[in-house]
Amino acid sequence: MTAYFIRRLLLVIPTFIGITLLVFAVTRVVPGGPIERLIQQNVMQAAGSSAAATRTGHTLSAEQLAQLEAYYGFDQPTLVAYGRWLWRVLQFDLGNSSRYQDPVWNLVRERFPISIFYGATTLVITYLVCIPLGIAKAVRHGSRLDHVSSALVFLGYAVPSYVVGIGLLTVFASWLDWAPLGGFISDDFEQLSTGGKIIDVIHHATLPLIAYLSGAFALTTLMMKNALMDNLSADYMRTAMAKGNSFRRAVLRHGFRNSLIPIATSFGNNISLVLGGSFLIEIIFNIDGIGLLGYESLLERDYPVVMGILVISSLLYLIGNILSDLCVALVDPRIRFGAS
Amino acid sequence: MTMALLRLNPITRRRWQRFREIRRGYCSAWLFGLLILLSLCAELLVNHRAIVVHYEGQWFFPTYTQVLPGTTFGLDYSYETDYKALARQFAEDDSGNWVLLPPVPYSPYETDLESDEFPPLPPSLSSGHLLGTDTTGRDVLARLLYGFRIAIAFSLLLLAFEYVIGVCIGCLMGFLGGAFDLILQRLIEIWSNVPFLYVIMIVASVVTPSFWSLLLIMIAFGWTGMTWYMRTATYKENARDYVTAARAVGASGRRIVFRHILPNTVSTIVTFIPFSITAGITALTALDYLGFGLPPPTPSWGELLKQGTDNLESPWIVGSVVIAMTTVLLLATFIGEAIREAFDPRVFQRYE
Repeated sequence: MTAYFIRRLLLVIPTFIGITLLVFAVTRVVPGGPIERLIQQNVMQAAGSSAAATRTGHTLSAEQLAQLEAYYGFDQPTLVAYGRWLWRVLQFDLGNSSRYQDPVWNLVRERFPISIFYGATTLVITYLVCIPLGIAKAVRHGSRLDHVSSALVFLGYAVPSYVVGIGLLTVFASWLDWAPLGGFISDDFEQLSTGGKIIDVIHHATLPLIAYLSGAFALTTLMMKNALMDNLSADYMRTAMAKGNSFRRAVLRHGFRNSLIPIATSFGNNISLVLGGSFLIEIIFNIDGIGLLGYESLLERDYPVVMGILVISSLLYLIGNILSDLCVALVDPRIRFGAS
Repeated sequence: MTMALLRLNPITRRRWQRFREIRRGYCSAWLFGLLILLSLCAELLVNHRAIVVHYEGQWFFPTYTQVLPGTTFGLDYSYETDYKALARQFAEDDSGNWVLLPPVPYSPYETDLESDEFPPLPPSLSSGHLLGTDTTGRDVLARLLYGFRIAIAFSLLLLAFEYVIGVCIGCLMGFLGGAFDLILQRLIEIWSNVPFLYVIMIVASVVTPSFWSLLLIMIAFGWTGMTWYMRTATYKENARDYVTAARAVGASGRRIVFRHILPNTVSTIVTFIPFSITAGITALTALDYLGFGLPPPTPSWGELLKQGTDNLESPWIVGSVVIAMTTVLLLATFIGEAIREAFDPRVFQRYE
């Protein structure tokens, strides 16, 4: 078992190299890269000032161009440049953003709290609500509670969260004017008291949180309910009841624990969600999180930031997968990974 | 033909029977089919061209024919006839000529310039814009209906190609196993981790994506999902006794795959279809919303959604799309749940 997980961890390395190499190679063949952008900016500035307007052609000399190419590593073959980039990443240096000139790591770190706030809140609320709700729905299968909550759950399951977000924004922010149109905090946040700050964050966070939750909710609730329904009809439940356990005790001590296995499977994958967030929801609500940063740097061809976020997100995804397996192995002793 | 197939296969017949008994899913399937049918004859329902023109004893059916210039009907221009104006003129003349316009006489590309106000116009019965117009004065209902048709066609094509590729590769991985399986697994893991949006944006920066090029990119990145399912399913079937028996009788690998494993695994793929359709619509709409989808002026839900969120003071735009999307996706999900239940009926026992 340990050997299996060590092997899995080692397999992360080639996969990681594969992903980053592929994207790295793509960034080098695409037009509109950082150098072309700088040239364009220069031309525009030149056109703006009358003195420079007399000069023809683009304003960067061949020497300057070569310097720039060297700065961004465009003067080397792809593999060499990739090797250098990877070497710097191994030293925890993600490079500088070509848009802000700041270290990529600082840009990412600034936005971490926002993404973690949304991700972690979503995760906690999802588990706090969905597990009890799933149990109640399974135990009272066919009751009114089951039907009413099913309708809501289905709605959340069918409609993608960005559409939910847009719908909420239209009704509650634009029409009823109950919530702000976006952002994470108000402009006068610094002047507010502690209580006021908390209320301000909640005020801004409610709509995006509902959008985040709508998708996660449906999946977890249905998973919990179906798993418990399966287990309720298992033989060991009959045995537990035959021994004199109450139904309640049999459900909580026997059925419930076994039904957590599918939930555990999805736990690891949620890790990347916690940090990555959904860039669509961040765009809609104008939340300055990691998702929005990644999207904007893609638009602006800010490759160091793109690669930096790719490094973080793919590592999280790969490790999250292993974590999922580990969770399953911990919860379910019947599962033996690697032993064929 | 279908009846013969159903009679031949009692399992399929029982599944169909069960599906029909799940009212919610069955009704949703009818409604969904009706919506697709409506969108297929959209030209007759929502169009700027008339359905029938009766002019000087002659009959014209301009919907599917070539462009009829205004001179055809005694007008003084040689570009396409404005049938709405023609209808009004005929009604005034009272000369026995008449025009039958579609219920919504607007095409999805047509800017309504007849009104004095600036678009977007709110919904109104008198103007004929039942759901209002968008910011350039195009009818929202027309854009919705034609957008739906494109989205459905797109996601059906997408799922067909994805499934064929995914089933072939997944089945091969499961059947051959060994190093082939391991290497392909890693490659697929790498491939499916490349940010898909990134590739779309790059392609969009080089060429304007068309329907087919967008489809091609989405197939290239979407086929991996099915491989995982097929790989596991093939592994499972491969280990079962009937496959061993077939092998013992001397069946070739090709025969085992095509006669035994595929029929036994592929039948459950039906249960994935409705969810793949919703995923296709959702993805296309998201891309259009971001501006990396189908090129304008293609009618699209994502583009309407973008207009709606940029113009929240005209809530009929965003409202129409959100409601339309919710309805369609909900119907498809109901169908999917019903199919799943029909394929895997569970009887839950309770010990209380």
